Amino acid sequence: MTDRIISCTDALAEALAEEMKRDETIFIIGEDLTAHDGIFGQFKGLHQGFPGRIIDAPISETAIVGAGLGAALTGMRPLLDLHFADFFTTAMDEIANQTAKIRYMFGGQVKIPMVIWAPDGGGLSAAAQHSQSLESWFVHTPGLKIVVPSEPADVKGLIKTAVREDDPVIFFQHKKLFAQTGPVPEEEYLIPLGKADIKREGRDITLITYSRMSYLSLEASEQLAGEGIEVEIIDLRTLKPLDFDLIVGSVKKTNNVLIVHEACLTGGFGGEIAAKIGEELFDYLDAPVTRIGAKDVPIPFSPVMENFVLPQVNDIVNGVKKVLNR
Amino acid sequence: MIEITIPKLGLTMESAKLVRWEFSSGDEVKEGETLLVIETDKVSFEVTAPADGIIHPIASEGSTCEVEETVGYLAVAREEYEQLIKDQPPVLAATPPQVEAVEPGPVPTQPANVSVPAQSKGRIKASPLARFMAAEHGLDLSAITGSGPNGRIVKADILLALEEDMVAPEKRAARLQDSAADSMAKEALESIPIQGLRRVIFDNMYQSLSQSAQLTLHTEACADSIISLRKRISKDGKKISYNAILMKITAAALRLHPKINVSVDGDTIHVWRQIHMGLAMEANDALIVPVVRNPDLKNISEIDHDIVDLIDRTRENKLSPDDLANGTFTLSNLGFADIDFFTPIIRPPESAILGVGRIVEKAIVKCEAVVPEQRIGLSLTFDHRIIDGAPGARFLKTVKEMIEDPVLMIS
Repeated sequence: MTDRIISCTDALAEALAEEMKRDETIFIIGEDLTAHDGIFGQFKGLHQGFPGRIIDAPISETAIVGAGLGAALTGMRPLLDLHFADFFTTAMDEIANQTAKIRYMFGGQVKIPMVIWAPDGGGLSAAAQHSQSLESWFVHTPGLKIVVPSEPADVKGLIKTAVREDDPVIFFQHKKLFAQTGPVPEEEYLIPLGKADIKREGRDITLITYSRMSYLSLEASEQLAGEGIEVEIIDLRTLKPLDFDLIVGSVKKTNNVLIVHEACLTGGFGGEIAAKIGEELFDYLDAPVTRIGAKDVPIPFSPVMENFVLPQVNDIVNGVKKVLNR
Repeated sequence: MIEITIPKLGLTMESAKLVRWEFSSGDEVKEGETLLVIETDKVSFEVTAPADGIIHPIASEGSTCEVEETVGYLAVAREEYEQLIKDQPPVLAATPPQVEAVEPGPVPTQPANVSVPAQSKGRIKASPLARFMAAEHGLDLSAITGSGPNGRIVKADILLALEEDMVAPEKRAARLQDSAADSMAKEALESIPIQGLRRVIFDNMYQSLSQSAQLTLHTEACADSIISLRKRISKDGKKISYNAILMKITAAALRLHPKINVSVDGDTIHVWRQIHMGLAMEANDALIVPVVRNPDLKNISEIDHDIVDLIDRTRENKLSPDDLANGTFTLSNLGFADIDFFTPIIRPPESAILGVGRIVEKAIVKCEAVVPEQRIGLSLTFDHRIIDGAPGARFLKTVKEMIEDPVLMIS
């Protein structure tokens, strides 16, 4: 298998082109798509390659999600571009009360083959209304699958699986990782939902993370390796379904756990993982399961303050040392 | 001042063992906190503080106390407590039982409020993993120094302790000396008192073998029919147990051989009208035999339902004395442990017990050919004083025939 080095954005566009070619029921709807190939250039070439299947919507997330859901119910496979994950709020009824529940309310007679593509995360001085990490809202809403990839290869493999799913998938992609490059196989491949990935093996501590924090954790673990601490990094890739088996195996080996996410700490998904580990792996723990997340405040515009609020490499290094009492 | 007494937990309860005090003399306790743990033949029970106060135990840990006996006092105020310890010196764990009220004579010249050496009640901080490892290797956590936050014992401390245990020269020498000094050495790893349920089993088994003349007959039956019977009546994923089928068959055979369903009572033999069949089970490391009522009058599903209910309640410690009483015959199945035959012991006042072995495929000669067949082992023990060999054997033959052809049950 040969790999090329491409960006997350290119990986996404490539995956969608392959899927749209394979299945003509797939279409993309969102704001400002055709003029700029999406505001982040994420759908480069699709407008030219698949005329009429990239649809510009009015500036209304309510309309986008409502239209997408209707299309999905009637046999299409829409991918909805939400522009910013922060705009979920204006489409919340369509998502939480309709998309997540219609299959159940209809007694399983319908499918919702729909992907909501939502750029999230901070670090770009985009301020409080364009920088949030909102995944735990949706993890807490049964009926939705949640994807939170980090590297380009994962973006490609997971978006292909997501558009083939018959249930609604929320596909978060961190804005600061759009330009992140990495090796992506030439050949076609799929990554199943619910399969986490060990990004780095280590014997001393299990660091559970996802999305952009995966990269910061890798950086932190390189530093820690210099001090003789070997960190094992689990990139969850999908929060729902959750690959708890992989966590079990790793924790039984390392006996120590640090969870790192960019979402604010209180009510974050880290609490869920920590509770599950406490319940099922109590006798394997040598220290309290510890979490790192953003401070519980709106994300500031000022880069200095934003860096203070969001977890940084140094916070992760210190977090590992705290768990290991070094 | 409030007296702390041993509560009466059941109609038949007369005494209890004082397992441990949760507080030492002079400790302040809050209403509802556990003061002491007591244990009877059947249960252990926590006695809680009836009010806030200062505790003063007078009965020692390990002693056996009568129901309603005063084992300690709860003083309302410090002055009252100081008066108390003048009258009733505190006791420590493992002192001789029952400190009686001391006569107001010459007492050792010691201020009354001198603190007595009590074991530290401090909780040892250790990570869950460290606790687990310590338990696995039999390490005493109180002897290990914790290097974690707030002195918490962590994995590294346990590994260190294990290593020291292996390499400490004095310990290694002591170990070598131990084994070299006396190759005949025989030390108890653990000394377990014979008490509670174990005492009951101990006495019953001895009584059974010493007061009757037990004879065991073995035979083997073809199990094909009960295997297919079980398949046919197990439905909706719920499997009927072989024990239920065998109990039904044994009960039907007892109906044809009423003189097996008997008890000796002094100079009389009672032939019982009802059949109540015990099923030997293992619960909390002890043998227990709950009884299924009238299996001869029930169908197999009903018997199975009864057995499942008894198993559940045995596990949950919810059997009542009635569940164990008035058996007339017992079934004991050791097939789960790959046993073929054994010599079960009768449960007096019953006079017979059927031991059931595993079902296993064996080579059998049929019509001059060796063929494979599922076989089940049967071992019948009976009291030869009142059941002769021939009728005992005929009963076992009937059981065998009914296993091989269950339709005989309706003959």
